Amino acid sequence: MIEVKGLTKFYKQIRAIEDVSFTVEKGDIVGFLGPNGAGKTTTMKIITGFMPPDSGTAKVAGFDVFENPMEVKRRIGYLPENPPLYNDMTVNDYLRFVAEIKGIESKKIGEETDRVSESCGIKEVRKRLIAHLSKGFRQRVGIAQAILGNPEIVIFDEPTIGLDPNQVFEVRSLIKELAREKTIILSTHILPEVEMTCRKVIVIHKGHIVAKEHIEDLLRRRTKISEMTVRVKRFSIELMKQIKDRFDVKVNQPPEMDNGFNIIFESPEDKREEIAKYIVDSGFGLLEFRPVTLSLEDVFRELTTEEKTA
Amino acid sequence: MRNILAIFKKEFKIYFDTPVAYVIFGIFSLISGYFFLQIFSYFQRQSLQFLQYQAPQMLEHMNLNDMVMRPLFLNINVFFLLMIPVITMRLIADEKRLKTYELLMTTPVSTWQIVIGKYLASLSVILAMVLIVFIYPILLSFFGSEGGLSTGSIEWMPLITSGLGLFLAGAAFAALGIFASSLTESQIISAIVAFGLLLLFWVIGWASAGAEGVLKEVLRYLSILEHLDQFTKGLIEIKDVIYYFSVIFFGLFLTQQSVSSQRWR
Repeated sequence: MIEVKGLTKFYKQIRAIEDVSFTVEKGDIVGFLGPNGAGKTTTMKIITGFMPPDSGTAKVAGFDVFENPMEVKRRIGYLPENPPLYNDMTVNDYLRFVAEIKGIESKKIGEETDRVSESCGIKEVRKRLIAHLSKGFRQRVGIAQAILGNPEIVIFDEPTIGLDPNQVFEVRSLIKELAREKTIILSTHILPEVEMTCRKVIVIHKGHIVAKEHIEDLLRRRTKISEMTVRVKRFSIELMKQIKDRFDVKVNQPPEMDNGFNIIFESPEDKREEIAKYIVDSGFGLLEFRPVTLSLEDVFRELTTEEKTA
Repeated sequence: MRNILAIFKKEFKIYFDTPVAYVIFGIFSLISGYFFLQIFSYFQRQSLQFLQYQAPQMLEHMNLNDMVMRPLFLNINVFFLLMIPVITMRLIADEKRLKTYELLMTTPVSTWQIVIGKYLASLSVILAMVLIVFIYPILLSFFGSEGGLSTGSIEWMPLITSGLGLFLAGAAFAALGIFASSLTESQIISAIVAFGLLLLFWVIGWASAGAEGVLKEVLRYLSILEHLDQFTKGLIEIKDVIYYFSVIFFGLFLTQQSVSSQRWR
């Protein structure tokens, strides 16, 4: 569906992306994950035909973005980082306008705007001026705009940024809903967002792609079973010592943790069951025993360092 | 065509659903009304004077078309120079500021369609302003002949050509204005650049005073305010029409180039 090869883009002297290649299959939901400034938006802007790359090609549904921009634009719905809204228009007028410039037949415009307002939950604000909408509604109008005309591919640039937790939840469920019938690319710098909505993930860092994998693989990377966190009710330094000696593992206590510590296994042997049993039996009051989860930054660090050594 | 219409309708709505158009019309009526009042009362004073001094040959020159409407149109032409940058300043600059530019550039609409649609919307405002000017001759046709002056009748043909000329002049100004708007995302910069461009196209004619021969003619021809003159005399001269259309085409072409080149930066 989307085929990107060797994209490179410089802004003046600054490299935004370099040699970015990936493919997205029909029906995929791909998360485009990376910290701010990694080149996510640049890549998306190139795929949508907003700007050309300095080198490389992007093909959407078999059409080259720069030889056949109109064909590509007809097939993509795009929600930029800032929803492209006209404050002086009502939601209804705005949707009608977008429907018109997307080339939807006049007869079907009413039906189409009804459909997207329904699925994005903006029916009750349709007569309101966009300037008066809350951030959450603005975002939803932005999404409604992107899915007008039922494009095969929908691209969302940071769709949940700046929303409150409830709104974030709603927008994510909306995207999941869409994912049933569309190919979706979604960019974010929030790891759980990708976990919750996407099936595949492309990790981009400093303009380079550092990983392309299924979400399960990323999750596996993220949870290190070789390192466990223990929290107990009655913590004493004694427990750490006992575990260290008994099970031949490394222990360390991060400074911010006052009722627990981390256990680092050095051999591949799985000792988790025995350790758990031991802590419970010796009456320290086990509260928590879980694999250490890496933060996004740690994942990046791991991914980027791995690339280098490979 | 549908796309142009869609863009036009959107811009038209923004002009007329917000106070923008009405403020422009209000201020325009105020100022043009003041022009009219001043010119007309001067005309009245002069007519009375000529009547007193029994100078019928002078009185013959005193007609409303030449002595009131013509100067009114020429003055409004100068006023357009100030007003039109304000009308066109947001057309493209504001899309960039609001990031709605990305929407336009990622939907299947060509840059020409965007530029033409927006331009036509600004012309609708200018057309309305030209129509406002026609309030004054209509007033004159009702009340101008009171007092038994033979001078008080209105000839409509020259007024129609004047209106056409004024509209073309406005259209030419707007084409340069929309170009200025395509250069920046700040409406203020857009208005200042447009204003500067228009002023430059005006004062370029002043140099013709010191020039000679062909150069003198060329400089005169380039001057943007020069071309309404014949229209106000009731004459549509092909060279003036060509001038206005060249400026319009030139402005729109540059705008289109500027909009599509933005993708390459």
